[in-house]
This record gives sequence, C-alpha cells and structure tokens, in this order.
Amino acid sequence: MFKQFTYFWLAFAILVVQIFLLDNISIAMWLRPMIFPLVVLLLPMEWRMVWTLLSALAIGLTMDLALGGSGLYTSSLLPLAVLRPWIMYLTTGRTVEHSDQSALLSRMLTKQVMLYVAGAMLVHHTLFFMLETLSFASPMRLVATILCSTLLTMVVSAPIIQLYKSKIA
Amino acid sequence: MHRLIEFIKRIYVVLLFILLEGIALMQYAQSSPYTEAKILSRTTAVGGAVSGAVTGVGHFFTLPSENRKLTARIAELEQTLERERALSAPVVEGDEVAAYFDDGDLNYRYYPARVISLTTNRERNYIVVDRGEEDGIKRNMGVITPNRELVGYVVSVAEHYSAIMPILNTKFNIGGRLTDNGYACSVRWRGASPHYAEAIDISTYAEPKAGMAIEVSSERLPSGVLIGYIEEAEHNAAQTAYTAKLRLATNLSTLDNVLIVENAHYGEIEALTEELE
Repeated sequence: MFKQFTYFWLAFAILVVQIFLLDNISIAMWLRPMIFPLVVLLLPMEWRMVWTLLSALAIGLTMDLALGGSGLYTSSLLPLAVLRPWIMYLTTGRTVEHSDQSALLSRMLTKQVMLYVAGAMLVHHTLFFMLETLSFASPMRLVATILCSTLLTMVVSAPIIQLYKSKIA
Repeated sequence: MHRLIEFIKRIYVVLLFILLEGIALMQYAQSSPYTEAKILSRTTAVGGAVSGAVTGVGHFFTLPSENRKLTARIAELEQTLERERALSAPVVEGDEVAAYFDDGDLNYRYYPARVISLTTNRERNYIVVDRGEEDGIKRNMGVITPNRELVGYVVSVAEHYSAIMPILNTKFNIGGRLTDNGYACSVRWRGASPHYAEAIDISTYAEPKAGMAIEVSSERLPSGVLIGYIEEAEHNAAQTAYTAKLRLATNLSTLDNVLIVENAHYGEIEALTEELE
C-alpha cells in the first residue's frame, strides 16, 4: 500500500537535502550528485501520466526557483515523467498493468528498483549536462561528467530507495 | 469530430509535455546571452532546414521578380568588375584610375543569400538565411538588400544557415549619417511599427528636414547603404540634439534575397576598438 503522507515527507526531505546540502558541496565540477529526480521516479507507476507530469513540473520549478536554474531543472526533469514507463521496461522488462491490485514498485525487488532508477538518472543527467554546457567541444569531459555524477547520485540514492521500499511502497 | 476528440484525448499528455518543455526551454534560453546564442544557433540549423523545404515551393512562384532583381544586381556587379580591372591596371600619375584608390569599397566581399524565415511582429525579430559557416559567413557581417538598403547583421551562424538581427529588433543599434550634410546619428527601433525607426543624437547644426536620407556609418558595411528617410524631426527634451522619425527604406516583411557583406578588415578594426576600451 503506497503511503502518500509518508511519501510527501520523504520528497520534502529529498528536496531539502538537494538544495541545502548536495548543491553546496563542491567536490569537483564533473561530480555533481542530483537526487531530486527520485521524487518523480518513485511516484506510483500506476498514476496517470498527466499527474506525474504535473508533479515533475512542480519539482522542476521548485528547483529552478531555489537554485536559479531558469528552466534548466524543469526542462531536464519533465522528459522523465513521460519516459519512465519505457525506462522501466528497458531496464527491468516490467510493464505497467493498470489492472494489477498491488503497485508495481512495491512488487519489485530493491535491486530492480535500483536498476530502473539508475537508467532514469542516466537519462536525466545526460539531458541536464547537455543543456547546461550546450557545447560538444569536449565530448569526453561531458561523458565523464554524466557517468561520474550518475554513479555518485546512485550511491546517495541507494539508502533512500531502501527506505522507500521498507516504509512506503 | 468524435474521432478527433478521441484522438486528442489519447495524445493530450504528449501535447501538454511538448508545451511545458517548450516553455521551460524558452525560459532557459533567455536566461543569459550565452544560452540564447547557443540555443539560437542550434534551433537555427534545425528550423532552417525545415523552413527551407517549405519555402522552396513558394519560392518557385517568385522566380520572375527574383530574375529582375538578379539582372539589376548583375549589372551593378559588372560595374564593380570594371572598377577592379581598372585598379589592377598600372597606375599613371594624374590618371583618373588613381581616384579609385580613395574608395574603400574594395575591402568588402558580398555573399548572396535567400531568406528562409523571418518575423516582423515581435520586439526581437530575427531572420534566417540559407548561408552558413560552410559558405564563409561569420558573426557580425552586415546584411543589405540588393538595392543597398540596410537589413541588419549576422548574430549567429550554423553550418548551413545564419541568423540575422534585423533593424526591427529592439536590441539593434547602428551608426548613421545624414546623406546631405554628413552629420552623424544613431539609429534604433523602438518596437512600434515595422516601417519606422528612430534616429537620435543628431547635432542641432544638422538641421534635419523631412525627406532627408540617412545612410549607414558602420565598420560592418560600406558607405552608401541606405537606412531610410526622415519623416519628422524635433529637438530632444534637453534641447541638445534632434530626434527624428525615420521611414525605413527596407520593407522587411517582403524580404526575399539579401547580400551578406564581409569587411575584410573588420577583425582588425574590432581588435583596435577592444584595445582602446
């Protein structure tokens, strides 16, 4: 059973950690963990896509306003709301069946959720860093930034996903 | 009708996504001059290719008028060629050929281009033409009509297409001078009518009158490029200079062919100006 109230507080905590902690940690230019897409990715897969899209819009706007992204966070987050069923299918082979009695994310193993989140984070980080640099002058550096940041994001996201699996989904 | 509603119901999420993503990207593009230039250059390449295909059909029907313009242009170029030939001939003291050395126009190179898309109803209008980096087009090159009337200058260049900031852009500003007496002024567009611009800082000694022509005075373009004609002039609030309402010589909404002008010495002039600043 998806616990909406608990999920709201988890989402709030993720955003606070991103804005006040992760965004202020300066490790390296090419190493930037971004966990806020988790709020969109861990929404029930059975939700109607329009609600997921509007949630992504709200999260993106919050990030843009808080971090001065001027649309960068929103434009890189919105595609995830539309693409996540496909990402789920490509990474785990699972499809969303609206007739199912229990939620898809709750039926999946933690490892499978991790795989799905990793795939989605890779898509998000690719979009984000490509939009941020708007240049392909140093492609290797861009690829390194995307891969390293995705890896670090997954390290930070792992305990959050475990918490989600045990307390919410 | 029922099927249409069903179809829209099925794809409305995708339409909503495209709308929201478009707004977000537009907002991001306008956040800084860098993102604006970069995104403009990328969209120019994509949009240019699409518009090029669409306008290709329409262009076929305007071929007669284009031919007339081209013929006129060929005649003008023939004259230029004659002058080039005269310049390459041995110089004799007192010969009339020596007079050509006073004309700096030989530093300019012309690239013909065709308008792919343009807007005239916004505050910041742009024009896309079918010549790009591959054709030797660079940023800051001036753009004129085949009749030597001002259009604007190149602000962004893709491989096969270029974006031009025309005079009908509130960010546009160019130096001008009154053809009759040579007094300098500055020309800009305030965004109201696509047929009128404003000439400011005209000296009180210039005595501008209705009908006087104003031509370009800029390192981007050769002399004799017409901007427009004064409709009315009045003193500014401080009574220190004249401000004139200028009827533009170019009708941008019917623009079809343009000439992109390269000043071979522009880089040198720009470096010198930067050094002074």
